[in-house]
Amino acid sequence: MSTPTETTLATGAGLTSHDMVLNIGPQHPATHGVLRLKIVLDGERIVSADPIIGYMHRGAEKLFEVRDYRQITVLANRHDWLSAFGNELGVVLAVEHLLGMEVPTRAVWLRTLLAELNRVLSHLMFLGSYPLELGAITPVFYAFREREELQAVMEEASGGRMHYMFNRVGGLKEDVPAGWTGRVRDAVTGVRRRLPELESLLVGNEILMARTKGVGVLGASTIQQFGVSGPIGRASGVDVDLRRDAPYLAYAELFAPGGPGRVVTRTEGDCLARLEVLLEQVHVALDLADACLDRLATLPSGPVNQRLPKVLKVPEGEHYVATENPLGFNGYYLVSAGEKTPWRLKLRSASFNNVQVLSRMLPGQLVADMVAILGSMFFVVGDVDK
Amino acid sequence: MSAPKDKRGRDGILPGLLKGMATTAKSVMRPTHTAEYPHAEPTLPPRSRGVIALLEENCTSCMLCARECPDWCIYIDSHKETIPATTEGGRDRQRNVLDRFAIDFSLCMYCGICVEVCPFDALFWSPQFEYAEYDLRDLLHEKDRLGEWMATVPPPPALNESAADPAEVTAANRPERGR
Repeated sequence: MSTPTETTLATGAGLTSHDMVLNIGPQHPATHGVLRLKIVLDGERIVSADPIIGYMHRGAEKLFEVRDYRQITVLANRHDWLSAFGNELGVVLAVEHLLGMEVPTRAVWLRTLLAELNRVLSHLMFLGSYPLELGAITPVFYAFREREELQAVMEEASGGRMHYMFNRVGGLKEDVPAGWTGRVRDAVTGVRRRLPELESLLVGNEILMARTKGVGVLGASTIQQFGVSGPIGRASGVDVDLRRDAPYLAYAELFAPGGPGRVVTRTEGDCLARLEVLLEQVHVALDLADACLDRLATLPSGPVNQRLPKVLKVPEGEHYVATENPLGFNGYYLVSAGEKTPWRLKLRSASFNNVQVLSRMLPGQLVADMVAILGSMFFVVGDVDK
Repeated sequence: MSAPKDKRGRDGILPGLLKGMATTAKSVMRPTHTAEYPHAEPTLPPRSRGVIALLEENCTSCMLCARECPDWCIYIDSHKETIPATTEGGRDRQRNVLDRFAIDFSLCMYCGICVEVCPFDALFWSPQFEYAEYDLRDLLHEKDRLGEWMATVPPPPALNESAADPAEVTAANRPERGR
């Protein structure tokens, strides 16, 4: 006979809880595509968060290596599908620098104008989709109405609504149609006039404030560690804007003292600050577009592109070009071996870095705030996965 | 997180809601901006990249478009035909005859490089976009289908008044060589 022993079968869990691993995505409406977040939860609190990327990796950099520079602009404008013009721009600027090519003045100002219109388009998309993620359905309709006006003028000039394919090495594909500048002026004026309607649904709305104020605060030091850039960096007081600090195109003149350009910053670093930066940047971009139109009206007649040889070979060398895309720094590191294709074209995309910082931001937050924080990072998955 | 308090110290989500409703009410008064697509035709600009049309007579089957296409979605087959000399002691001439010209629109990225590189103006953009199919394979348009799109190609828009003269005009105005 064995002696009776005391065995503890189970203890009451009481108030302690077990960690739970929760997968957000890859198919989740708040991830704007196929981003997967692996979140470890302790009750309602996030213990750790791990963005798992690569579901949409298309090997863009490798594809660049077997295509000539005109074909590269086709591919390059697709990684961040909301800012195709900005993406094309970096490639052609890098090639033009290695070639030592001067771009006609009209092309420089038209490029600046189109880049700013593209910035408004991209920002309006997020100004519509972010409230959607917070549960407000209405703002997206106002944002898309304005996008439609601007897309119409972009389509009239380039033929595309998203993938403009309007940049060429040495300038633009062709000149803009007659009367186009007038229609751009009308569109810009119309968007500026109606923007307060969209703002009235966002700024100062108590529900939106409750969801975003003080939520997901990102410190300036974390931003520097992770290489976060663009509106998200500026919302935390990191006062960097390549349009002012490393000017390309006509931005040196636009951001000169007394010019219409200004860098929008906030110091709070929370979700609300990021949304506010985006909203104010739309106003600045519209002002810049107006300034470009004023300037274009005074420029003498001239070409918008350079005559190129049938086979365009870029001399041996390397060059890095970074431009201020709507979502942050977009850089291309071009290494040419003197061929008609690049030896290597490294792509530094804004969203890639902006998404990585989630692993630092999300721990300690409530799971209910997760979507509010994720949405406020303003990323495009194509730009993350490249 | 509690909602911010209003001046009287109450939880106030009401002002925001009212402001939103006021904006909505203002929009209700205006005519709708959206066009009911199948019933209302969209007006598309002439440069709009909808479908690529082929003018078969202009094609010399030089293959430039097929080679420059970033994803190689243009298929061209051709053979050479000999035209006998028309005069006594003349030379027989050779001519390319286009057998097949097809664009696979399920692969096409709508970049327009083929239209741009065509040296003989055989390819054109048309804003026509209503060619969706239930089967992916039906998006491969052969040359007769591509030719039908020619009827929908609009004339190009006039250029901005500050635009430089087109290359043809500059070439025509250039003084003749040797003068």
